[in-house]
Amino acid sequence: MTDQEKFETKWDVQLRKGTLELVIMAALKDRDLYGLKLLDFLHGFETIVISEGTLYPLLDRLKREGVIDADWRQEDGARPRKYYRLTDLGETVLPKLAARWRKSTADIENLLDQNEQNKKRS
Amino acid sequence: MSDREIIHDYLSALGRYLSRLDKETADEVIREIESHIYDRLDDQGDDSNVSEILNGFGEPRELASAYVDHVIDGTPPPKGFSAIAAVKKGASKSIYYMTGFFGYLLGIAAVVIGVLKPFNPNNIGVWSTTHGQSFVIGVFTNQPEGTTEVLGWWLVPIALLMGGGVILFTRRLTAILKRQL
Repeated sequence: MTDQEKFETKWDVQLRKGTLELVIMAALKDRDLYGLKLLDFLHGFETIVISEGTLYPLLDRLKREGVIDADWRQEDGARPRKYYRLTDLGETVLPKLAARWRKSTADIENLLDQNEQNKKRS
Repeated sequence: MSDREIIHDYLSALGRYLSRLDKETADEVIREIESHIYDRLDDQGDDSNVSEILNGFGEPRELASAYVDHVIDGTPPPKGFSAIAAVKKGASKSIYYMTGFFGYLLGIAAVVIGVLKPFNPNNIGVWSTTHGQSFVIGVFTNQPEGTTEVLGWWLVPIALLMGGGVILFTRRLTAILKRQL
C-alpha cells in the first residue's frame, strides 16, 4: 500500500468512527430492526461500511447510553431476534445530531468551494 | 469440524473472554451473536461459509474486549490494562458493599434515634461536655456524667432528616458504584 493509500484508508476509518453512531440512530428512525437486518440495510449505502464486530458492541453501547433500546421477539417458528429501536431520548437527540452533521458538512463544503474559487482567480 | 462445532468453539471462546461481565450480560451477547450467525447461515443456504461469517465478527478476544471496554470502563482504556482492571473490579466490589453497609447503618441509626426520642426523652439525646470539646449521641440508661443535653426536642426532626438524607445519599452512591461492578 502506498503512503497515499494508507493515508486515505486511515482517514476513512476515522471518519466512519465518528459518524457510525449517527448512522445507526438514523437507520433506526421509524424502523425496528435486528442486528442482521440493520447490517444488510446499511450495506445498501456505498460509503457506510460496517462489520458485525463493530456493529454489535456499538449497539450495546448506544443501548447503555439510553438512545436506543432492544427487546427479544420471536416470529412464528423463526429464531428469537433482538430488535432495536430509538428511545425517546434517541428521538430527541437524533435531529440535533443531524443538524450538527449538516452544519459541519456545509462548512467543509464552503471551505472547499473557497479553495476552488481562489484557484480559478489566480 | 462441522459448522455447528466451529460456531460452538467460537462462542465458547467468546464466553471465556466475556467472563469479566456478569453472566446475564455475557449470555445475552452470545445469544444475539449466535442468532445472527445461524440466521446468516440460513440466508446463504447451500453456499454458506461459516468462517466468512465469523470473520465479520473478528477474533473472539477482540470482539469481547469491544464489549468489556465500554461496559466496565465506560470508555476504551489504554491497551494492556486488563490486570489493573481486574484488581479495580475486586476493589470496587468491596467499596460497594462497605459503602452500603455503613451508609445504611448510619442512616437507620439516626432515624431510630429520632423515632425513639419522644418515647424515652431522658435517655436519648445529644450531650456535650461543658466546654464543648466532645459530645456523645445515642441511647443511655443514665445521662453521661458531666455533660448537658443539647438540641433537646430538636433532635427529632434533625435526626430524622439526617438519617433520611444519609439513606438517600447511600442509595445514590451505591447505585453509581454498582455500575462500576
